Amino acid sequence: MTEPLLSIRDLVTEFATPDGVVHAVDGVSYDVYPGETLGVVGESGSGKSVTVMSILGLIPQPPGRVANGEVLLEGRDLLTLSEREMRLVRGKEIAMIFQDPMTSLNPVLTVGDQLSEAIVTHDADIGEDAARERVVGLLELVGVPNADDRFDQYPHEYSGGMRQRAMIAMAIANQPKVLIADEPTTALDVTIQAQVLEVLQKAQDETNAGTILITHDLGVIAEMADRVVVMYGGRVVESGTAEEIFHSPKHPYTLGLLSSLTRPNVDLERLEPIPGQPPSLINLPSGCSFHPRCHLGQGRAVCRSEVPPLLELGVGRRSACHFHEEMSQEVARVEQETGAHFDGEL
Amino acid sequence: MLTYALRRFLISIPIIILATFLIFGAISLSGDPLQDLRQQPNITAEQIDRVRELRGLDEPFPVQYWRWIQQIPTSGFGEYLLSPRPIWPDLQRVLLNTLQLVLPAEIIAFIIAVALGVVSAKRQYSVFDYTTTTLSFFGYSMPAFWFALLLQVAVVQIFFITGVRIFPIANLSSANPGTGLAFFLDRVHHLILPIASLAIFSVASYSRYMRASMLEVIHSDYVRTARAKGVSERRITIKHSMRNALIPTITVAALSFGNVVSGAIVIETVFGLDGMGRYFIAQLGRRDPYPIMAWLFVIAVVIVVFNLLADLIYGYLDPRIRYD
Repeated sequence: MTEPLLSIRDLVTEFATPDGVVHAVDGVSYDVYPGETLGVVGESGSGKSVTVMSILGLIPQPPGRVANGEVLLEGRDLLTLSEREMRLVRGKEIAMIFQDPMTSLNPVLTVGDQLSEAIVTHDADIGEDAARERVVGLLELVGVPNADDRFDQYPHEYSGGMRQRAMIAMAIANQPKVLIADEPTTALDVTIQAQVLEVLQKAQDETNAGTILITHDLGVIAEMADRVVVMYGGRVVESGTAEEIFHSPKHPYTLGLLSSLTRPNVDLERLEPIPGQPPSLINLPSGCSFHPRCHLGQGRAVCRSEVPPLLELGVGRRSACHFHEEMSQEVARVEQETGAHFDGEL
Repeated sequence: MLTYALRRFLISIPIIILATFLIFGAISLSGDPLQDLRQQPNITAEQIDRVRELRGLDEPFPVQYWRWIQQIPTSGFGEYLLSPRPIWPDLQRVLLNTLQLVLPAEIIAFIIAVALGVVSAKRQYSVFDYTTTTLSFFGYSMPAFWFALLLQVAVVQIFFITGVRIFPIANLSSANPGTGLAFFLDRVHHLILPIASLAIFSVASYSRYMRASMLEVIHSDYVRTARAKGVSERRITIKHSMRNALIPTITVAALSFGNVVSGAIVIETVFGLDGMGRYFIAQLGRRDPYPIMAWLFVIAVVIVVFNLLADLIYGYLDPRIRYD
């Protein structure tokens, strides 16, 4: 395999709260390769967003703090950069698309102005007309009709889907090496979601950026991702190619996610939800933080006493379960109970 | 924007008309202006009746109201009750004097308040933030006249000790103010203490608004977006945060301008300035309804004008407002 574009190593991000220090991200490691889409899945509070915010140095400090780890962009550790050097990385080498397009654009500035700013910030000599021309081109690329007129409009004159297209255009304005999309479709209507994903795919093809796609929607992952990282309680619990994750999950949490929602190519007769609630990060369960909700563990002592290491099962295939060998029987059990076949098309 | 401005302007006209009605109605209800004259031994009943007839005080309310309304544009609020002296020249003089005090005070206060609010919010919970917060509460709760008196006492003490008159403590001009630039500098010199006393309350209150709205804005998603684009903090503050944070602060400042004008009464009294406040108190003492009504009308117009100004600035800053 080629060299990774972006490597996150043992990243720890903590927040000081009145109830004590919270480890929102606790030793997370994953790689992004050029041109691929890495899906990051997990429930709210699993640390998926905080991880990428840490990459860009956008954690509000205080109360937040990146306490440990490395973020290597082509071998350069971003966490050691000064704020000034980091500014040159943001929007230029790593760009981000945020979750809520309704609040992520400044309401008092025109959309064109905000897109031009992304270009001018990293290329002060470009000139107003050239910047405008490029922005109009970008807006056309992401499918905003009448781009030249739309340039001078304000965000409130855009629909939600159009705003997210504009956000995508903003993110790819400088041909970034890494594109981070943090739940890009969550705040949109279902009918718009597919269109925006298409635009995202197109934008990625255009820039050949390594993309981190954060979502809790497995349908989006199935459609877009080449590889998948599953996060739970601030840690990576499983990773692998999309096919491996969907066909033979090696962590009971991943299996729980798969069996708790319907997808077009899986005939679930009965949904099997994951019992319980996502854990509170202030008071994570001992040992494996998934153990109180786990069907596989069956209350075995080691689950409660020892944090399972993230074991390398193959190239890029990792699982943090004490009993990952038992997962094929567990998958068979769930398939029998729900009537699903996890080996279908993605 | 032009449609928006025109509509805002047209809406203010009926408000002014309503204000004239309320002013005239309230003053009419407060009784017969000639009542006090009856107790004066040197004024005869015939003289009182003549004034009554001359000013039409026996006529029905609508007729009197119409007569008064007509006078506003034609003869500038007409004349005083008991003398043929026109009201407008006096009122114009005190209005201009008051505006010389209030406008600079409010503009300076607004600029200082915005700066304080922005820095406080950017450095929330810093020593600077706590200091300005404490001083703001002090400035907010301290009566303006007391601060004005303190300033006067301080200036007088400095004079006693060093023999230097730093600032005059009364009047708008020296006995011999000169002309041109000399006059202007003399006026500025006289107004520094009153402006400071008036501004301190406004600084305290506006900086609180600015800090609060700035705090809201700097934690907003669009500021995060700007940061993710690699925009510098300085540019984020000026281009993205301040413009949004100014919207509520400007509204508050423009809406309270009328209060500041009428509230300048106290400061004008302390510093012996020939302004709106002193004029109002003097006319109240004479129980003359005509200058009082004229004064109320001018204040109403000032308030409406500044509301209009607030609307226009608001529409300029926030594109969502323009197209309602």
